[in-house]
Amino acid sequence: MFLQWHKKDMDQYLQAKEYIDTIVMTLAPFQFSNDQELIKLTYQEELLHIFAAEITRELSGRTVQIPAYHYLKNSDKEIEISRMNEWIADCKKQPFAHFFILTFDAAWKKHEKALDGNLLWLPSVQLGDLHSKEMQQYIREQVMQISELIQSYWQNE
Amino acid sequence: MSDEKQQVTRRQFLNYTLTGVGGFMAAGLLISPLRMAIDPVLQPSKKGDLANVGLAVDDIKDVPTRVDWKIDQVDAWYESEVSQTAWVYKNEKDEIVALSPICTHLGCTVSWEGNDQFPNEFYCPCHGGRYTKDGTNIPGTPPLEPLHQYEQKVKDGMLYLGNPHPRGEA
Ligand code: FES
Repeated sequence: MFLQWHKKDMDQYLQAKEYIDTIVMTLAPFQFSNDQELIKLTYQEELLHIFAAEITRELSGRTVQIPAYHYLKNSDKEIEISRMNEWIADCKKQPFAHFFILTFDAAWKKHEKALDGNLLWLPSVQLGDLHSKEMQQYIREQVMQISELIQSYWQNE
Repeated sequence: MSDEKQQVTRRQFLNYTLTGVGGFMAAGLLISPLRMAIDPVLQPSKKGDLANVGLAVDDIKDVPTRVDWKIDQVDAWYESEVSQTAWVYKNEKDEIVALSPICTHLGCTVSWEGNDQFPNEFYCPCHGGRYTKDGTNIPGTPPLEPLHQYEQKVKDGMLYLGNPHPRGEA
């Protein structure tokens, strides 16, 4: 089982709801206006997506990945937070106990407390080849660490 | 009738073409020039083929060790690289055992000695599933069948793994 925001995955989710209590959502800036930012943003988007998918795979019997939340870099954080909290509230109408938000954007760090989910901030990574051996190794290690962190939340229930 | 036939043929043709292009791209991404030099016919592995997982048979220990590799997967719409994982070790009879880490309960990834309380077992962090070293599920924990086993072969001293099968069918 590997649950993402796909119909076939939700068919499975509905069968096994009582075992699945954790959501992973990615949080990333979006913009098209600035040439220089384009490369960095899309690179981080890809990387974040890989992280989220690998974590969901690692913890697949208990975790669902929902659509990414995007915002304009200079948008009002308060408004974004209240929208995100609405998403979270909606999800929690299902039997979810844990909501993890994965981001590279350190700007969210100081708003952490206002969010109704757990922010997992990942330090951003140098531009590089996502398919290189070194990068795969790095991703693997990060994924293991994040997965252990999530498991520690499970144990504190 | 003949219309249908033609459609199938066209789809098949497209399929072949797409696989061809994808295979070519994957080869560029995955295979270092060095490996190319060693094995010029090394093909990108697709689902079903046995893939070189980058582990020399001599390096396999009697303690289960995690191995990760990538395969190419093509479905109707996407072609993607999919990560694969196995727990590999040599048993008392010196046979290679390659177990799928996918918990047979709901599919989380199990780890060898993943929980300090259960030494010498595979442990699933999601709902506490446990398996003995040979992959047998421990009664009283959620999984109802053993860990699956990878199809395997050894070529030129390297381990190749294919698809995981339920135990007894491998
Ligand atoms: S998924 Fe492993 S015990 Fe439930």
